[in-house]
Amino acid sequence: MKRIPCTGCSLLCDDIIVRSDGLFIDEVIGACLKGKERFDQLSSSNRILSPMIKKNGVLEKCSWEDALEKTSEIIKSSSKPLLYGFSNVSCEAQLKGIELAKVVDGFIDSNSSICQGKVLNIAKNTGITLTTITEIINKADLIVLWGANAAESIPRLLNKILFSRGKFRMTGREIRTLIIIDPVKVASFNVMGVRDIALQIQPNKDLELIRVLKEECCVADSISSEGVAGLDRDDLKRLILNLSEAENGVIFIGQGVLRPQSESNLVGELLELVQMINTKQEKGRISLIMMGGHFNMAGFDHVALSTCGKNGGLQFDKHQLIDTDDNIVSKIDNEDFGCSIIVGTDPISHLPLSLSQKLATKPIIVVDNKKSATTSIADIVLPSAITGIEVPGTAYRLDQVPIELKTILNPPSNIPSDEELLTKIIDKINKS
Amino acid sequence: MEMILNTMRMVDHDQAREHSLGDEKSLEEHLPIGILNPKDFKKLNLTRSLHLTVSNKNGQIIVGIKEDEGVPQGTILMPVSIWANQLTSFEKNEIIYKNITVNVEASRDPITSFNQIINSIKSN
Amino acid sequence: MELYKFLPKTNCKKCGKPTCMAFALDLLQGKVKIDDCPPLLEPKYKKQYDTLKELLGAEEGQKKELKIDVDDDLCDGCGICVTVCPVNARYCPPTLSGKAPDYPPEKHQLFQVKGGKCELLNLEYCRRLEAQGRERECRVCETYCPRKAIKIDYV
Ligand code: SF4
Ligand code: SF4
Ligand code: SF4
Ligand code: SF4
Repeated sequence: MKRIPCTGCSLLCDDIIVRSDGLFIDEVIGACLKGKERFDQLSSSNRILSPMIKKNGVLEKCSWEDALEKTSEIIKSSSKPLLYGFSNVSCEAQLKGIELAKVVDGFIDSNSSICQGKVLNIAKNTGITLTTITEIINKADLIVLWGANAAESIPRLLNKILFSRGKFRMTGREIRTLIIIDPVKVASFNVMGVRDIALQIQPNKDLELIRVLKEECCVADSISSEGVAGLDRDDLKRLILNLSEAENGVIFIGQGVLRPQSESNLVGELLELVQMINTKQEKGRISLIMMGGHFNMAGFDHVALSTCGKNGGLQFDKHQLIDTDDNIVSKIDNEDFGCSIIVGTDPISHLPLSLSQKLATKPIIVVDNKKSATTSIADIVLPSAITGIEVPGTAYRLDQVPIELKTILNPPSNIPSDEELLTKIIDKINKS
Repeated sequence: MEMILNTMRMVDHDQAREHSLGDEKSLEEHLPIGILNPKDFKKLNLTRSLHLTVSNKNGQIIVGIKEDEGVPQGTILMPVSIWANQLTSFEKNEIIYKNITVNVEASRDPITSFNQIINSIKSN
Repeated sequence: MELYKFLPKTNCKKCGKPTCMAFALDLLQGKVKIDDCPPLLEPKYKKQYDTLKELLGAEEGQKKELKIDVDDDLCDGCGICVTVCPVNARYCPPTLSGKAPDYPPEKHQLFQVKGGKCELLNLEYCRRLEAQGRERECRVCETYCPRKAIKIDYV
């Protein structure tokens, strides 16, 4: 029985068994609910199976010819195209996306820059210790979930990092200590055992905790008796003990830690704390893993780094990369774009209203395989095949390990992959 | 009542799920909800049939209610979606998804519909 | 172990068991009846006797059957029960993501995740039926399910 990777989230579990009759998927074994729903998208009523152009305010089906013609028309007539998304497509498609941005002198950015890319930017100054999932399964003895609700956002993560039995240690759960730092008592708290530490911190007090830990990292007995940030003194002592004595500790950073820089440099201080502990540690180390959601969120940063030497937003001018500090938020806020090309994401569902409204003032071209809030305001919708089910590709897992995606079924006859579609658009623009 | 809004994403509100189930109806069922501590629920004089008006300087929406012991008092949780987006904002280059001050009140009005919000985005 | 609280806790051995705890365990599994504990019939334990009767319900005396219930509405297919059940663990081949139960399932395997939901394959080999001593009190799957979807029951 062939096992294939799931593209439901950034964990890319590579042990999913899919039974299919060649036309439909019969059974998905091993995947969680989220993954199963990814496979369900194949035949969902929401799937887009034909290109559409907006006429008199409503989207109407049209031929590929017309759709591509209109697309290149819009892109060429507007000066600064904005390309955004690329976290739900393969690395190959991301590469094409960058090529397109270069051809049309546009700005390209991925979802990563409002999520885990922020950590990478800060890590440029402080450095970061990363690790991989396999390493965690085989060796980890301390798992910290900081502002990350693993049980809900990446359902099988806890199963793998906490309960799986590794190679070098004979046991799984028994040797691992789990620490959760979160203001909300989330579902992950339910897997706590006797040795684990549940820290329900007061909202917005993370910085205070990190500062205290940094001070106490050396001397573990001068915490004030009333504790810090609503946490008990004894729990804090155990936290410090665990952090400084773990042989292979991992901290998972979730959205909860990604506070805006203007508010506080929470991530930066956390990275510094980890480094302090690692320098003091004699036998072990603490590493970090960023929890992105979309299956290839980590990929764009890798592709951008290897092709352009820079992660995050890339601005092209006269077909050359130019230096910029802009990202998707500032671009939209300054209305510094002529049209937008959204690939495989749904910005209307995750950007603040004021940004959505600004985005909607310019023509929007959406490349996606399903209807979303964004397609409902788009001017052109171009359907694409589902990566990891209908077309192969490469994707980066949340621990920055590349995984090769497989295919199970063929895409519907007239639906290209994201990569092919972007190539077609580039050709069209080059020709005319 | 003034509260702190944190947005989050759980299995029930995940985008993959939204899209495979997919129509506006199922979105309207799963996404416009505010999750509160039962004590706050009492403080606001809520009943299950009522809705919540959540507002701040960025906007205002009406959402359904859910109680959960795990949510600390004074905090309201909402899934990331076009509904919660009415209240989020951004600063410099970053979107603020957590610790947003909002005003929460009981309401008898119907939940803000998907089309209402899409239209407000379009018409701008 | 609710039942234990209401026993005399004197470990007098009149029931034929070494301790009250052992008696409570057997009581839970329906192997013995409340009336098998002679001291409990004394008037001073009347109240406890009645509570126990109530706890064990109307079917007192009938053999109780183990039932593991997985709530489909709550379960999100995380697979923790599959990996953590000690019976499943005995038959785990190593995969890329650590040791995990096989597919097609080995005949001893109790759980598998199919279509995003946990599925109970068979109960026969559950430790609560098979094992001896303390292992028989296994509740691992129920304890670690993050969504509290598993309930172990005797009906
Ligand atoms: S955890 Fe993510 S990758 Fe793994 S099965 Fe679930 S959705 Fe798929
Ligand atoms: S007879 Fe009753 S009191 Fe004595 S050991 Fe058995 S259960 Fe305990
Ligand atoms: S542990 Fe609970 S939520 Fe996870 S698969 Fe088993 S029953 Fe479902
Ligand atoms: S009670 Fe123990 S042996 Fe039985 S199914 Fe649960 S974990 Fe497995």
